[in-house]
Amino acid sequence: MSDHDTKLIAHLMRRAGFGATRGEIEAYAAKGYDATVEELLDPPDARWMGDYLARRFHHEQSGMMGPWGSGDNWLYRMITTNAPLHEKITLFWHGIFATGYPKVIHGKMLSDQIRMFRRYGLGSFRTLLVELAKDPAMIVWLDNYDNHKGAINENFGRELLELFSMGVGSYSEDDIKECSRAFTGWTIGNAEYMTLRSERDSDWPYGRISWHFDYRADDHDGGEKEFLGRRGRFDGEDIVDIICEQESTARFIARHVYHFFVADEPPVPAWPYTPPRDPAAVETLAQAYFDSGYNVKAMLRVLFTSDFFKAENVRYEKVKSPAEFVAGILRLTGEFDRPRREIMDRARQMVYMGQHLNNPPSVEGWRQGAEWLDTGTLVERINFASEQVGDLNKPGVKNMVQNIASSNGSQLSPERIVNLCLEQLGEVSVSDSARGILVEFAERGDRSPEGIAAMLRLTASTDEFQRA
Amino acid sequence: MNIEYSLTVGLSAMEGRGFYYPSDTAIGRDGRFYVVNRSLESVDRGVRVTMCDIQSEYYGIFGSYGEADGQFVWASCAALDSAGRVYITDERLGRVSVFDPDGAFARKWGTKGNGTGELDGPSGIAIDADDAVYVSDTYNNRVQKFTDGGDHLLTFGQGDLDLPWGVTVAPSGDVYVADWGNDRIARFSPTGQLVGAYGKPGRGDGQLTRPASVAVDEDGWMYVADWGNERVQVLDPDGGFVMKTRGEATLSKWAENFLRINVEEADARSRANLEPKIDLFDPDDPHEESSHVEKLFWSPMSVKLDDEGRLYVTESNRHRIQIFQKTA
Repeated sequence: MSDHDTKLIAHLMRRAGFGATRGEIEAYAAKGYDATVEELLDPPDARWMGDYLARRFHHEQSGMMGPWGSGDNWLYRMITTNAPLHEKITLFWHGIFATGYPKVIHGKMLSDQIRMFRRYGLGSFRTLLVELAKDPAMIVWLDNYDNHKGAINENFGRELLELFSMGVGSYSEDDIKECSRAFTGWTIGNAEYMTLRSERDSDWPYGRISWHFDYRADDHDGGEKEFLGRRGRFDGEDIVDIICEQESTARFIARHVYHFFVADEPPVPAWPYTPPRDPAAVETLAQAYFDSGYNVKAMLRVLFTSDFFKAENVRYEKVKSPAEFVAGILRLTGEFDRPRREIMDRARQMVYMGQHLNNPPSVEGWRQGAEWLDTGTLVERINFASEQVGDLNKPGVKNMVQNIASSNGSQLSPERIVNLCLEQLGEVSVSDSARGILVEFAERGDRSPEGIAAMLRLTASTDEFQRA
Repeated sequence: MNIEYSLTVGLSAMEGRGFYYPSDTAIGRDGRFYVVNRSLESVDRGVRVTMCDIQSEYYGIFGSYGEADGQFVWASCAALDSAGRVYITDERLGRVSVFDPDGAFARKWGTKGNGTGELDGPSGIAIDADDAVYVSDTYNNRVQKFTDGGDHLLTFGQGDLDLPWGVTVAPSGDVYVADWGNDRIARFSPTGQLVGAYGKPGRGDGQLTRPASVAVDEDGWMYVADWGNERVQVLDPDGGFVMKTRGEATLSKWAENFLRINVEEADARSRANLEPKIDLFDPDDPHEESSHVEKLFWSPMSVKLDDEGRLYVTESNRHRIQIFQKTA
């Protein structure tokens, strides 16, 4: 197989997954690029460590009362899944439909929302929006339990249009009000008791009780509404239907997809005033949205097989989010072959890098791209990468070192050992200046396991390793 | 053979009176409960052993988070010897800590590893009439027998067990193991020969999903914490299905007290439907149902029998013990 093939597969795995080991890249390359895309979109046998194991040893990942269990559990999935695109698309929707612990105060409900994204995230966008509107964590997060017939609360209606589907400038204030009317009566069961418990952070007497969607017909405004130029006795599902038909929705979701999977765009609030980096690509994705009946998987199939995705000039044009960065490294090191208490430490380090899963900074989620990097977070990232991939006690690191050493390790030229380190860390390509520094370090000539591990540490500290 | 619900003891509490993610309960001959609280892993609060009794009388706590003598990181299971000393396993530290009946630290033993006498993830623990100690050596997929001082006596179950959890010594002297990964109860002779295996994977009657714990009475009837199915099953001595229960918790004395003081929550609770009929996201997942319906078992990790024919079911996620009575 050619260098071109493996580099393209490595690019795909960084975007559609969390990177890959050299062995995985070779296996995918042998199958071929298009077959790999199909396998990512429709994994034949999706597996991960599994809830039983995680729950047996991490009891909070079962009861999920606090702010950590749900994210720790999700990190396990990212690390151990053989269907990484499922977790990536889940991360994608979590970034857009950002819902957080400080108001929900119920880890299980946040985890259930993530589970919903996992199930519906690659399917119909219409279905996803309807499920989102029924999602108990979202109903509490954006106060829809307080959205009543004759006394609307606009929080959910506003964000549904502004942040979740169409973007600023595509609707009026009246549309928000009418939209909100359509979602009156969409609440959670036992809303009074459950929200009181959340307000008080009460887990008494017997731990958290999961919430469930409840449609209250007696509290639903079934009157006529005018929404985006259409008139009718709309309910929530009708509103979602109309939203999904909009060109603005197609472009907004297409730009998000491009932003997440292809190349960093400016922060979302700038979108109304800043054209996309690649307008033709966004149009292509928007067309795929309509052609497929709003199907996300179809959009991604077009994306991953497009020239704009495969192009050299978008590679390493995305800064990995902390979740992608941490999960990718932990997949390489193979540390979590079984439940280990260290999962918490790894998840906390992700927080120090700026991302606490299920706890975004606001309803707008996290700003992506270069905004992940400041002097503090960059130091955290480099320290983390260096510490993890340089630890010879970790089975994945041991393997990488062994693979390098078995290529006639003691005789390796500096250039060759640099190439092997780049290969083992996931077929990473680096700039000439970075390569020069790595070669200079390799010229010191230490070919012991510790010496090779030190080379891996330095390689993982490069700018390109921060990027996807 | 039947079991009937009697009462509930417990309350979610990170400190003092109450439980926080309890993983096991040992019942002393004087009726004192020793409830092992795993707690959260992300903070150092809540890890302790709570002492109380069936009347909800609270006697205090001992132990805390840490690696020093008398501390725990991943506290798991508990058993009592003939003198009433409390033996507690720690899956993380790979050791057994021993406390006197009032909770004073006495000693510890156990070395992390996979050699003979070493432990990797010790969980279930049981003590026989001669004070020999049986420990589920989880990640080594075996059970090991020790003296009460930690000297190795016997190893068995390799090749038969997959991540064993709860272990008990039956009145007959046979050792029953919750063979978690194999979805069955494995029965060994006192010399470590596999002499029986009960249950097959599944959710049907008599089937098991990741059993956590088993108790056995003088007639050989088995009471199984069918953890992955969020229920308790009673099996006859040959493993035949007898009955099952999903739990029916009521308010404990501590819970009633909490609601008496917190009137606003009590009022809201009185207006809530705590047994809602809902469309579950995963209809075949009892964990999901238990998260919604408070009275049902949620993560039942331990079953213990006392001399009065009472069965104690410790539920991690609900921070309580549901107590049942054996009836003929």
